[in-house]
Amino acid sequence: MLFNKRTERIFFWVFFPLALLMPLFLAENTFFVSKLTSIMIFALFVMSLDYLVGRCGLITLGHAMFYGLGGYLFWMIAPEYEAVNFWVYTFYICMIAAAVALIIGFLVLRTSGIYMIMITLAFAQMAFYFFSDSIEFGGTDGLFIYVKPETSIFGLSFFDLDNPTHFYYLCLLSLFNTLIFFRILIRSRFGRVVDAIHENPGRTTALGYNIFVFRLMSYVIASALGAYAGYLFTLQYGFVNPSMLAWTTSGSALVMSILGGMGSIYGAILGTFVYEGLHYVLEHLTEHWMLFMGALIIAMVMVFKNGIAGSMEKLLEKRT
Amino acid sequence: MTTSLFLVQLINGLQYGLLLFLIASGLTLVFGVMGILNLAHGSMYMVGAYLVWYFVEHTGSFGLSALISAVIALLIGILMERTLIRQLYRRNHLDQVLLTIGMIFVFNALQGLLWGNDPLGVAVPSALSSAIPVTDVLEYPVYRIFVALFCVGIAALMYFMINKTRLGMLIRAGESNREMVECLGIDIRKLYTIVFAIGVMLAAIAGVAAAPMSSIVPGMGEHILITCFVVVVIGGMGSIKGAFIAALLVGLVDTFASILVPQLSSMMIYILMAFILLIKPQGLFSS
Amino acid sequence: MNTQVSLDLKVMLETQGLCKYWGGLKALDDISLQFFDKQLHGIVGPNGAGKSTLLNLLCGHYKPTRGSILHKEEAIEAIKPYAFARRGIGRSFQKTNIYPGATCLENCCVAVQRRMGGSFNILRSRYTQKVLDEIASEALEKVGLGARRDVVASQISYGEQRQLEIAMVLATSPEVLLLDEPMAGMGHEESQLIIELLKTLRREYCIVLVEHDMDAVFELSDQLTVMVDGQHLTTGSVDQVRDDPRVKEAYLGQGDEVF
Repeated sequence: MLFNKRTERIFFWVFFPLALLMPLFLAENTFFVSKLTSIMIFALFVMSLDYLVGRCGLITLGHAMFYGLGGYLFWMIAPEYEAVNFWVYTFYICMIAAAVALIIGFLVLRTSGIYMIMITLAFAQMAFYFFSDSIEFGGTDGLFIYVKPETSIFGLSFFDLDNPTHFYYLCLLSLFNTLIFFRILIRSRFGRVVDAIHENPGRTTALGYNIFVFRLMSYVIASALGAYAGYLFTLQYGFVNPSMLAWTTSGSALVMSILGGMGSIYGAILGTFVYEGLHYVLEHLTEHWMLFMGALIIAMVMVFKNGIAGSMEKLLEKRT
Repeated sequence: MTTSLFLVQLINGLQYGLLLFLIASGLTLVFGVMGILNLAHGSMYMVGAYLVWYFVEHTGSFGLSALISAVIALLIGILMERTLIRQLYRRNHLDQVLLTIGMIFVFNALQGLLWGNDPLGVAVPSALSSAIPVTDVLEYPVYRIFVALFCVGIAALMYFMINKTRLGMLIRAGESNREMVECLGIDIRKLYTIVFAIGVMLAAIAGVAAAPMSSIVPGMGEHILITCFVVVVIGGMGSIKGAFIAALLVGLVDTFASILVPQLSSMMIYILMAFILLIKPQGLFSS
Repeated sequence: MNTQVSLDLKVMLETQGLCKYWGGLKALDDISLQFFDKQLHGIVGPNGAGKSTLLNLLCGHYKPTRGSILHKEEAIEAIKPYAFARRGIGRSFQKTNIYPGATCLENCCVAVQRRMGGSFNILRSRYTQKVLDEIASEALEKVGLGARRDVVASQISYGEQRQLEIAMVLATSPEVLLLDEPMAGMGHEESQLIIELLKTLRREYCIVLVEHDMDAVFELSDQLTVMVDGQHLTTGSVDQVRDDPRVKEAYLGQGDEVF
């Protein structure tokens, strides 16, 4: 079974049908549709981080590097005034991001624990300055994307990326695929070793596994998907800028992943929606929303350790 | 580059490095003794700068303001440790990261609430406002030299404290074996409170010292925090000696990079870090 | 070597002048030993004698300061830790070292899967591999945990966890078993279970057994090595060692009441 927990199946059958129908109710409200779209894009990013931190035990504070990279890569490799094929460029961007992740992962994964947290952060900061200091990449203002890609496969085109509702469905499809992909990955034989490494790295080495390779592979996979999320973000807003790579992007993604329930994958969607929802409400109530957000995060660490997914599972799963 | 310009940059680099050491030493001390990664450490640098600005506005005396700010920072440190940090000792790294990220949010929000988001400035104290002429056209501000000497003084004090006093002995013992210190019948909670508060105070003092040299802006804490991470990573986590040498290295590289390779100047220290990691993944002076 | 061994025994593992220093501390000093196939080699000695250090070197967990380790006449001291297990050198740990969150079967599956391949397959479900399950179950049966295969490892008793530890090593189908105090912390009955198990295993594998329970070691060992303060004291048959006056002195000197 792809989803081995009841809570997970319930979430799946509630969230996706609801998300599928949502635009029907909001047909006129394009603001809300694009707000939901951007939350889904970020949920995809948080999901890739959740896999890395929650399933692999690799705590990174530099995941936003790949989010930003996804956007900048598109600007770099796509011709400026010509519509390229969305799927082809998805493939390109994921592959290039994977190659970058291979190099950075090789350096970063030589370390572990707190050391790794600081090094991932420092690398992300390096990328941040690389883009924000260079004139070619538009400095702190970033860059505009003038032409959006077309989405035909074998001459058939289902999505028009200039139409917010179409783009909404493209992102929903991406989120759906990513969730399924991670579930398959976790259930796989590779996933078994990753779980084993997370629970007891020393033992796994003693059984003859080269844990570095498994960690590196996980890092590469998660980074490529993180870049894919950044690519979607860039297509939605038509620009890319260094704030995508800022450490606060990594930090808030981490908070959302915990809020959702670390390592549960589907919790990433819950966490992102709840966090963004709260953010939206607080921002409209007070300009000092950060104070409440901070207090909320502190409270969460203190008393709400299992996140939303964990708490739901406690309620819904049969005791064994 | 002329000799005098080189000399000025050399002093600039050393002075910046020494300031970095002040902050990074607190970070590495707290990690070494307590095993805590405090991301909100940079926020205390910011708090120090804002506090000294606030008190200079009200008292007019920089020295007095600096003293009050340091004491307040110490109290904040004790409060933080007693209420929140204490909960983290038996938790994993992830919880530490999250909780301290939450603190950054709170500190940033409070800063906005209390002092607004416009850049602020503190005047150099009049006794130190003169400059030493280096050549006919170049001169070097006395205040910067004072800060450099002050940092050296603090470093020497720390060296003395860690190697010669009873508290230092406990710190060294705590670094190598936490359980052992508990077995010695020492109230480890008290030790942790002291160490954490001192660490926080060092960051705030750095903020105070930096206030007259740079503008006081929101987000200054995070920027310096990440630079300090580079210092600690290069020096080796938990090593004060490593932090000292790495801080000077980072200070010099950063200063000279902005003249020699201006396109890469902000990235240079990270490139340095990547190189050192390739050779020594645990940093230069890891225990 | 002061040991008389029949010539048809094959040397599986050998150490030559093996040293491990921690700074100035000599945890292990100039140890040269031979371990034979299908024999059980007991290692005893007072606390701090360097027994665990020796095992940690033999399984690749530590790198020796000096000296070499030969496996089937090939020097292996420089290879990566995980490569030791791949060569068939499996070890169990003094402190229980399992995957507490997974079932007993899953614990062994991780071990089996390493040599069955497919660990990089990111699409194939881990739950559809019957062969893997069978081999893992076999390992559990062998140590007497067949009935516990679907119980989460943190829920079984301490003694059973020690058994699981051995099952996991067996599941890697090793040639050499390095067992670090498999009976530590066990009651008499549980120990008896392990002793019976080791009796069946010792003619199948090359076993190196570090153990505090002297009765067990005397009962099981084909060869016995005594270590003191990181030094090799003597190696021989159980009777030879038992009668060696230096051994008694070493233990009396440490205040351990063993003999």
